[in-house]
Parts: sequence; structure tokens; C-alpha cells
Amino acid sequence: MTILAGQTGQAAGDEPLIRLTDLTRAYVMGGVSHTVLAGVNLDIAAGEFAAIMGPSGSGKSTLLHILGLLDRPTSGSYRLGGRETGTLGDDALSGLRNQAIGFVFQSFYLIPYASALDNVLLPGLYSSTPRSALTRRAMELLDKVGLTAQAQHKPSQLSGGQQQRVALARSLINDPDLILADEPTGQLDSATSAEIMELLAVINREAGKTVIVVTHDVATAGYARRQILVHDGRVAQD
Amino acid sequence: MTAVWRRISRGPRLLWRLQHMAWLALLAHKARSLFVVAAVAMGIAALTVIVASVDGARRKALEIVDFFGPDAVLVLGGDIENRPVGQRVNTLTWSDARAIARSLPGAYAVLPMRSVRAVTLKYGNRNYETATVVGATEDYAQTWNWPLAEGRDLSADDIKYGAKVALIGDVPARELFGEASPVGRTVLVKNLPVQIIGRLAYRGFTGGGSDTTVDDRLIMPISTLTQRFNLNRSYFRGLRVRFHNPELIDAHKDNLRALLRHEHKLEPTQPDDFTLLSASEILKFLTAFTGGLVAFLGVTAGVAILVGGFVLANLMFLGVSERRVEIGLRKAVGATSTAIMVQFLSEAVYLTLVGAVFGIGLGVALGESLSRLGMLELRLSPKIFVLSLAAALAIALVFGLRPARKAAALDPIEALRGGGE
Repeated sequence: MTILAGQTGQAAGDEPLIRLTDLTRAYVMGGVSHTVLAGVNLDIAAGEFAAIMGPSGSGKSTLLHILGLLDRPTSGSYRLGGRETGTLGDDALSGLRNQAIGFVFQSFYLIPYASALDNVLLPGLYSSTPRSALTRRAMELLDKVGLTAQAQHKPSQLSGGQQQRVALARSLINDPDLILADEPTGQLDSATSAEIMELLAVINREAGKTVIVVTHDVATAGYARRQILVHDGRVAQD
Repeated sequence: MTAVWRRISRGPRLLWRLQHMAWLALLAHKARSLFVVAAVAMGIAALTVIVASVDGARRKALEIVDFFGPDAVLVLGGDIENRPVGQRVNTLTWSDARAIARSLPGAYAVLPMRSVRAVTLKYGNRNYETATVVGATEDYAQTWNWPLAEGRDLSADDIKYGAKVALIGDVPARELFGEASPVGRTVLVKNLPVQIIGRLAYRGFTGGGSDTTVDDRLIMPISTLTQRFNLNRSYFRGLRVRFHNPELIDAHKDNLRALLRHEHKLEPTQPDDFTLLSASEILKFLTAFTGGLVAFLGVTAGVAILVGGFVLANLMFLGVSERRVEIGLRKAVGATSTAIMVQFLSEAVYLTLVGAVFGIGLGVALGESLSRLGMLELRLSPKIFVLSLAAALAIALVFGLRPARKAAALDPIEALRGGGE
């Protein structure tokens, strides 16, 4: 199912799942170049549960976008599963995002007019997995996050915590190796936040997924076994 | 484009799923979809009416040529163009008819025409005022390519002896006899008892602009008509001249004009005191008549289709900005730009196709009422469906392309940032 499985299995010994080398990202705004990431070196091994922390403007969101293949670095190298991503075309990156990465966002980003089940299915629809297998897996995932009864509900009929659980199920539909969560608890109260982080911990522990959470919340970061502090575009503390 | 095609053909499953997504999105935005459907339907309705009317006009023209005969020239007394200034109409005489029959090369038949308008027919206790009673010579039906539904044609003896017989058109036959056969019955034509010997088949078209149909007529031997109705015996309203070699009809007309000018002793500076009409002139007249309406409808259809296209484009742009987050999310979870574009183009195509279906229905209804009001002759053919669907597809692809490309080109990071908070 996962396209990285073969590579990670063999490469795990000599190369981690994620390897960033001298990674920079600069934006040109009004003729002035803004350096957001100024040479990041970072390895994250398969199976890790890491939190990327830092104040706003530290570059942690940009780092997450690059890790999620939504953005490209200005210079430096990003190897995912032993494979250099900088040389891949847009469609190859789309395929990799689809198969290797699951996304969880602060604002959930569910399609408002689609049911919970259809939202979970969405990444699967862009893959080549048959529909019946997808539906079966989506129902299993909804069961795991405790929303079987709400499968046909629209997002507007669900609470914030329920919506984020739908998003968690969605991130797992294509059985990716890597789950990227961008402030997953940013819009939830502390009790619900704890539920979501527990679920992410379970996904990491039981399914063996590599989970990376970006947050500025210390309590949220506490669930991770590794904390990476980003400051002024660099890894300040690991 | 080939790259797009390769991708599409490689993923029929994805294509199918994108269609499903497109439908879900359309159903989720019903109000907006309805606007586009309505706008496109207007355009397609106008297109349907215009295509039907052009086809109708062409069929009517062909019928008239068929009826008139491609080998015939009609000579009318008086110049139509000078009639308003009081020129006399009674200019065609028996001597003209004889001169043409005797000395015009290529002419094989010269048929004098006389008619009386608005004559009351009476059968039993039923009265009907027929539009025209036409005086004719033998073999009327055959000469005018007008089949008889029943009975016999006028014979040479009928003309010679001024027989009190008549052929009856479809309209008076229906008015006086209903569904019963009129053949053998005796009708009073202005108090003259006349026996019906044949019934003309239904023609069903108007003389171009007027309300009277050609079916509203009674045909009698010209001799009978002249004697019994005290018509001026030396002049004709018209002559019908038929020629061999219809492809030389223009040359025949020139000869006929020269002959008649000579017969009427016209100086070169004087205008004709007669009018020559051939099938092509009648067609020209008819085309000019329907042409105005067709041009008006054409402009209307064009504008309506453009409006439909602009409504589609604008509402799609609106939809793309409203659905930024959805598009960003789809791209984040693995949709390629092509997949996004195909989905949005598919949405456009479905809207315009549904619009086309409603438009065809609306157009057919509109066309029916127009032809019932006698404003247009309509002919509905499969061509209309093909044309309308093609036009709908073109609207979707032409006007939907830019919004679809805008959606496809959205940067997922920007799109997701734009929505969220």
C-alpha cells in the first residue's frame, strides 16, 4: 500500500525516513528577500513521534509545508524515504502526498457538503485503490476514532473534536508512513485536545506511523517523545 | 493537451471518480447551479427556435418551388413596383397569350389565369366564403404539380364548353362537407350550381405573409368563370408559361420580356407594364420575409448564448474563490492540477448539458407557439439536439476553461491559509 515501505525497510539502517540537509527557504517580497529557514539539518527516523515547536514567525509552519511536499526549499536537500524530492515534478509530488503522507490541519478542512464517510474517503479517491476496499477501510477508521454512528453526518453536524477525528481518519485512508499535523489542537478545548493527541499517540504506537506535530502549545508537544525547537529559521534545540 | 489526454486515458477510474465529485459539488451548490442552468437554457432555447425556423423556411421554400415548378414563369399584369403610382393592371391579353404560344422559343404551355376573390360557396344550409375562385385551363392539377386527393382533373371539353364543374381546395371542402367526399356534389358558387369533380390534396402553406392558405380555393374552367362572373373577357390577371430546359429559365425570361415589350409596343425608356416571376424570385421574396425574423433570432440566440457563457464563467469564478479551502485540501491530499481542472470543467459541462436539455424543451415549446401563431414555419430535426448539445459543450469548455485553470493553479498553501481561520 505505501510506496515508501520498500525503501524505508531497506534504507532504515543507513538512512532515516526524513533527512533535511542545509535546507533554506526564502521569500521575495517587495524586492526584499526574507529568509524563513536558514539552513535546517534534521533527521527523523521511521516510527518517531516528534513535535516541532517554536514561536510564530519562527519558520515552523514553512518547515511543515516543506516536509509535506506542499512547498519546495530554496536550497538544500530533502530526502524522504531515501529519495531526493527536489528533482520530482509536481505530479510526482502529488502522488507522494497522496500515498506517503497524511495531513491533519488546525481548522480540520473537511469538505462541508460531504458526509464524514466521504471526507475520510477523499484521499483514497485520488489513489488507484478500488472503491469497495476504500469504503471498508474508511468504516474501520471511523470505528477506530469512535464515529461509526456519525458516518453519514455532515461536518456542520459534528463538534470540533469529532471533526478533527474525521480528519485523523482521513489522514490514514491511504495507509501513509508519515502523519503531519499542523496545530491539530489549536481550535479545541483542553479535554478534546487530549483526546486527539492520545489518538495520534496510538497511531504512532500501534500502527507504527511516523507522526510529526507542529505546535506552539507545550502541553500538546508533551505527547511527543521528541521535541524540536525551531527559532529564527534554525533548529535551536533538539 | 496530449499530456492531459495521456493522464486521463491512464486513469479512467479517476475520471469516473472526478465525475462523481463534480456531481456532489453541483448538488451542494444548487442555487448557483440553477442560475447557470437557466442562463444556458435561454441561449439554447433561442438556438433551438432559430435552427427549427431556418429548417422550416427551407422546407417551405422547397415546397413552393415544387408547387410553382422550376420550369415556369408567371406573367402578371402591371409592374408590381409601379403599381402604387396607379399604373393599370389589365395589360395581358389573349393576343399576348397567343403570341407567346406561337413564337416564344422553348415555351410549351401558356396557361391564362383569372380569379375572383371572396366568393360565397353554398352547400345545403352551409355557407363558406372562399378566398379565391381560380379560372384555369385543362389539366390544372397536373400542370401545377398539385395532386388530386380524389376525383378527376379539368378536361379540355370542360374548358371548351364552359362546363359548370370545379375542383375544390382542402379548406372549402372541409368547411362544406366535413370529412365526407365532395366529389359529385353540387355547390352554389354565387348562385351558379357547379358540380365538384375533384378535390385537391392538402398543401398547407401560406402565400407568403398573408393569412390565406393556398388550400382555400375553388378551381373552375376559365371559360365558365369569365362567362358567369362577367369578367372582362379580353384581359388576364396572369399567364403561366412553362418551358422546356428549366436550367435555361433566365434566358427564357429575357426572351419573354423582350417579346411582351414588343407586343405592348413599349419604348426603351418606358418601364415594363408586366411582372415576370419565376421560382427563384418567389424564393427570394420568401427568404427576405423569413430572413428578417431569422436574423433577429440569430442575434438573440448569439447574445443569449454569450450571456449564458458569462453567467457560467462568473459563477464559476465565484465558486472557485468560495471553494479555495476545498481545492487546497484536495491538492494537499494528492489531487493533481489536472484532476482539479477536470473536476471543474466537468461541473461546467454538466451544468450546460442540463441547461441544454431544458433549453431544447423550452425552445420546442416556444417554437410550437410561434408556429401556431403563424409567425414561423418550424421543423424539428435531430440536428437541433446535436447542435444544442454541441453548443452547450462549447459554452462549458470556452467559458469554463479560465475558472477551471484558476482552480487548478491554486497554491495549496495559499488556498488553505485563505480559508481556515
